[in-house]
Amino acid sequence: MSPRELVRLALGRLGTSRLRSVLTMLGVIIGVASVVALVSVGEGATSGVTSRLQGLGTNLLTVTPGATTTGFTRGAAGSATTLTLDDADAIKGLAGVAAVEPERSTQALVVAGRQNTTTSIVGTTTDYLYVRAYTMWQGSFLTDPAVDAGLRVAVLGATTADDLGLDESSIGSTISIAGLPFQVVGILQPKGSTGPVSQDDQVIVPITVIDHHFLSGDSVRSIGVSVASADQVDQVTAEIDSTLRTRHGLSASATADFTISDQAQLIATVGSVTGLLTILLAGIASISLVVGGIGIMNIMLVSVRERTREIGIRKAVGARGRDILAQFLVEALTLSVLGGLIGIAAGVAVSGLIGAIAGWGFVFNPVTILVAVGFSLLVGVVFGVWPARTAARLDPIAALRYE
Amino acid sequence: MTVPPTWPTGPEPVTRPPAWPAADLPPTWPGTNGLPALRPLIELAGVSRVYDLGHVQVVALQAVDLTVAQGEFVAIIGPSGSGKTTLMNIIGCLDRPTGGRYLLGGQDVEELDDDELAGFRSRAIGFVFQSYNLLPRTSALENVETPLLYQGIGRRERADRARAALEQLGLGDRLDHEPSQLSGGQQQRVAIARAIVTDPALVLADEPTGNLDSAAGAEVIDLLRRLHAGGRTIVLITHDPDVAAVAQRQIHVLDGRLHA
Repeated sequence: MSPRELVRLALGRLGTSRLRSVLTMLGVIIGVASVVALVSVGEGATSGVTSRLQGLGTNLLTVTPGATTTGFTRGAAGSATTLTLDDADAIKGLAGVAAVEPERSTQALVVAGRQNTTTSIVGTTTDYLYVRAYTMWQGSFLTDPAVDAGLRVAVLGATTADDLGLDESSIGSTISIAGLPFQVVGILQPKGSTGPVSQDDQVIVPITVIDHHFLSGDSVRSIGVSVASADQVDQVTAEIDSTLRTRHGLSASATADFTISDQAQLIATVGSVTGLLTILLAGIASISLVVGGIGIMNIMLVSVRERTREIGIRKAVGARGRDILAQFLVEALTLSVLGGLIGIAAGVAVSGLIGAIAGWGFVFNPVTILVAVGFSLLVGVVFGVWPARTAARLDPIAALRYE
Repeated sequence: MTVPPTWPTGPEPVTRPPAWPAADLPPTWPGTNGLPALRPLIELAGVSRVYDLGHVQVVALQAVDLTVAQGEFVAIIGPSGSGKTTLMNIIGCLDRPTGGRYLLGGQDVEELDDDELAGFRSRAIGFVFQSYNLLPRTSALENVETPLLYQGIGRRERADRARAALEQLGLGDRLDHEPSQLSGGQQQRVAIARAIVTDPALVLADEPTGNLDSAAGAEVIDLLRRLHAGGRTIVLITHDPDVAAVAQRQIHVLDGRLHA
């Protein structure tokens, strides 16, 4: 019998017991749909997190001070005051460095009219906007003359502006930071948060102003370095390391008093975590696929029992064992593949819906579809073989007498 | 005379006087499917069938010798438990003898494995059962097509041949009816159409009137007689002497032995 004849026979048979066929397929439909939907959700979450991390800055390296050691006690990372503005200038001169922004920061009370909030005051340079990948919503960012002259101007994060009741009409108005008057020159576009720290709740002022009015010394909290291209990241990291070691008088083997962290490492780490999550989700979903397969096997075994006489008749009129085997196997396969196709449609619909709600859009991976189809075929074969063999081995005489 | 290689050398073919006047012989022999004509179609030599039930052995057939020529109409008659069903299963290639030798159309059944036997059965034998044994929820046309399906015949030819067989049996207006929509007599006629659609050498009818009222039964017997008049070999198994009377030859089975 040709495959087409077998499929026609199977479809005709499944059509005569439609409700049972649909209920049997339901297991596979749910299994495949949840595999497709959960894998897509996992991938959507991964790409969402990755794009947010990339929103922190392009090819970003962050240099932070190391820990201080007082006697035998090692302090927290970043507690050292070893990183200076001169270090930032030295890094700026390295090849492959596109922009550098040193940051000094403190906490202060900010007052605008009758509103006030306590937030972090970040002193930095004009390159901050580019290195940290912010965009302006209103007004303009710090300018080089303003930074050089130490003018009391401020750029507000979106959340801070909101807290203080400031909007586009407030550009040029005056606010007070720790009692000192500052002119508002711009408001940033919101970026969303990464983790507990909001990137939108801050006030940015020229770094020279911090030096004059808030903090003494010239140590910086961090130096953000934007590397010109992604493939130069490793080379620039090595150069920053050797430059700072030379400047701080450290040998190549000594413990560094600074840390260079790489955005790509963070993305890779997060990616591996979410990838693991995707596998976990898919694993859980495939359990329901296996359960669906057992449903098919169950119904096929019942069907073989019910149709013992039919099998006897078919054998009497010339069906060979393998004809019967093929007939029942194709029936199981038809159930699982039809269920798989419907499940894919359902899974794609569900993942589109979740993507729309969660905001990472529709993530469609053809590999998932192929794997899902392959899996449902496999389920059909694995769980269809046993009933089909049972049918094929029936003795025609006994089967014809079966009531 | 040289013996063709396909013809196994078995016991000497029995030459028996024809059981009917030579003038009644049909001029041609349809339904031989290329099997050598005018040879004995069925040859059983010392065939026995013993059921091994572990602790006890039941002898259902004991050294049976039987020869049926092509074109013959033979009734095998016997009470239940006489072994006639076992005999039918063996003649129908559904079962194998445990002893002796069975040639159907010159083919030694013992030489075929189960799959080959299935193919051979589908070409050589058409079955008519007491309980019709049609496929449920399947149209008359598709039921009659089923044996052709397993011979690998294309869809269109299958439908044409099945339709022709049903029309020949007066069921041309019932092609799309399912068995549950047909009377017993009509179902049995569909079963007969299925038996002859492969143009088999032998039609094997097992109590074909057993489930029918007398009118429908008479109709079925008449159909078998007409098939025989068309040149087909028919073996009819029954317990009813009146039904057996229509055959040219009656063979009585009792306690696993034949009594001509």
